[in-house]
Amino acid sequence: MTDKKHKQIFVKGAIGSSFIADSIQKHSTKTTIGAHSIFLGQVRSDSRDDRKVVAIDYTTYEEMALEKMHEIREGIFAKYPLTCMHIYHSLGTVAAGEICLFVFTSAVHRKEAIDACEEVVELIKKELPIWGKEVFEDDTHQWKINNV
Amino acid sequence: MQLKVQAFGLLAEIVGNNIIVDKQTDTDSLKKQLAVQFPSLVDIKYAIAVDKKIIAGNTLINEASIIALLPPFSGG
Repeated sequence: MTDKKHKQIFVKGAIGSSFIADSIQKHSTKTTIGAHSIFLGQVRSDSRDDRKVVAIDYTTYEEMALEKMHEIREGIFAKYPLTCMHIYHSLGTVAAGEICLFVFTSAVHRKEAIDACEEVVELIKKELPIWGKEVFEDDTHQWKINNV
Repeated sequence: MQLKVQAFGLLAEIVGNNIIVDKQTDTDSLKKQLAVQFPSLVDIKYAIAVDKKIIAGNTLINEASIIALLPPFSGG
């Protein structure tokens, strides 16, 4: 059995705005790019039975998630003419209002970048073994359910 | 012989991250054994991954199989 090393996508805690800005800046040398598409997932403070979500605590089955992400990445590059794609997902606690998912696709033209970005976000939500535990003000919690 | 099974998310909260189950030869019998050993799992929806792939139907397993119980995903 081969255990290939796959690209890491997980970061501890929230994804900071300076990290996102730096990622954009790094592409200034890639002058064939004409369009970037960025999706940012933000932790929403839902209310459930009068309890307010203050944070989401993310866990994953990392070996499987990275293998699956590798498959998704290959599928997307085969389908769309992208120049590059970067994906970051938080693990651990992310407070309401902070960023927990950053998907960044770049292409020569906008359509490919936008379509690929949207498709990757959908696949991440549907196929990656990641679980979010919504933590409430009173320290109780509930496991998040994604709308499919 | 026994099987090592990993559990995640809500399931880990109920049964722990790593559980030991009496050896089973396929995933259908594993599910039955899990229900006996952990009655609280009966009402919970989960998928089984063998060697990091979600199984589509009953799948043969052995001591070397990497088995994981996965509740519905909620990333992003």
